Amino acid sequence: MPGALLVTPLLVGAITVVALLLAALGAATTVVGRRIGLVHVAGAGLLELLLLLQAGIAAAAMAGGTRPADTPTFVSYLIGVLLVPVAGVLWARTERTRWAGTVIAVAALVVAVMAWRLQQLWEATGV
Amino acid sequence: MSERFPADGRAAVDSTASGPGRVLVAVYGIFALAAGARAAVQLSTRFDEAPLAYLLSALAAVVYVVATVGLARGGRTGRRTALVAITVELIGVLVVGTLSLADPAAFPDETVWSAYGRGYFFVPLVLPVLGLWLLRSRAGGGLRSRGDRDR
Repeated sequence: MPGALLVTPLLVGAITVVALLLAALGAATTVVGRRIGLVHVAGAGLLELLLLLQAGIAAAAMAGGTRPADTPTFVSYLIGVLLVPVAGVLWARTERTRWAGTVIAVAALVVAVMAWRLQQLWEATGV
Repeated sequence: MSERFPADGRAAVDSTASGPGRVLVAVYGIFALAAGARAAVQLSTRFDEAPLAYLLSALAAVVYVVATVGLARGGRTGRRTALVAITVELIGVLVVGTLSLADPAAFPDETVWSAYGRGYFFVPLVLPVLGLWLLRSRAGGGLRSRGDRDR
C-alpha cells in the first residue's frame, strides 16, 4: 500500500544520522571551547530540508487517505519538529560563548527523538 | 528593573540567558513547546476522557512558558518569576509523578509529568533542579561580567 512507503524508514534514518552528527558536532564545539560557525548552520539547514521533505511526504499521504491512529498528535509533531532547527540556530547564533554548540546539540537531539516518535505514531496507522 | 539599574541590569539579563543558562533556556523552550502542543491536542480532541490529566498538562505548559520567559529575560524580575515557576514545576513533577504511580486510574493518559517524566527521559525531573541551581549560582553574581567562568 502506498502509505507504507510514506514517512519512510530511509528518510527517518537520514534525519536521525544528520541530527546525531550535528549533535556530536555541537557538543565537540563546546568541549573545545569554540563558537559555532557556518558548518553548524549548514547542518541545521540540511536537517530542516529533510524535515520539510518528510512533512511534504506525510501531508501527501494523509491527503491520499492514509491516517495515523492519533492524527492530531502526529500532525503536531510533524509541524513542531520543523520549528526546532530554526529556533535552535536563532537562539545559538547570538550566544558568543562555547555554549552555543550545546544549544545546537540539544536542538539536534530533540529532532532525533521527535523523528523517532513520528515514525512510531505513523506505524500505528488507523486504516 | 533594567531601566533603573542600566549597568547591573545588563549583566543580570545576561546571567541567566547566556553561557550554560542559554542551554537551559533552550531546553525550557522545548518543553514549553512540547507541553503546550500536548495540552492543546488533548484539550481540543478528548477533554472528556481525562480532564484532570489534561488540565495538568495545560498547567505544566503554562509553567514551562513562564519559566522560559523569566530565565530568558533575566534581571531581578525575570529571576523572581523564574524562581516561582520552577518551584511550582518541581512540586508539580514530584506530586504528579508520585500520584500517577500510586493511582494510575486517575491518570489514564500521559502528561509531561507522569511517572516523573518517564516519557521524556526524566528530563522534567532534572530540569527544575538545574533551573534552581542556575538561579542560585547567579543570584549573587548579577554584577559579574558575562561569561567570566563560562568562556
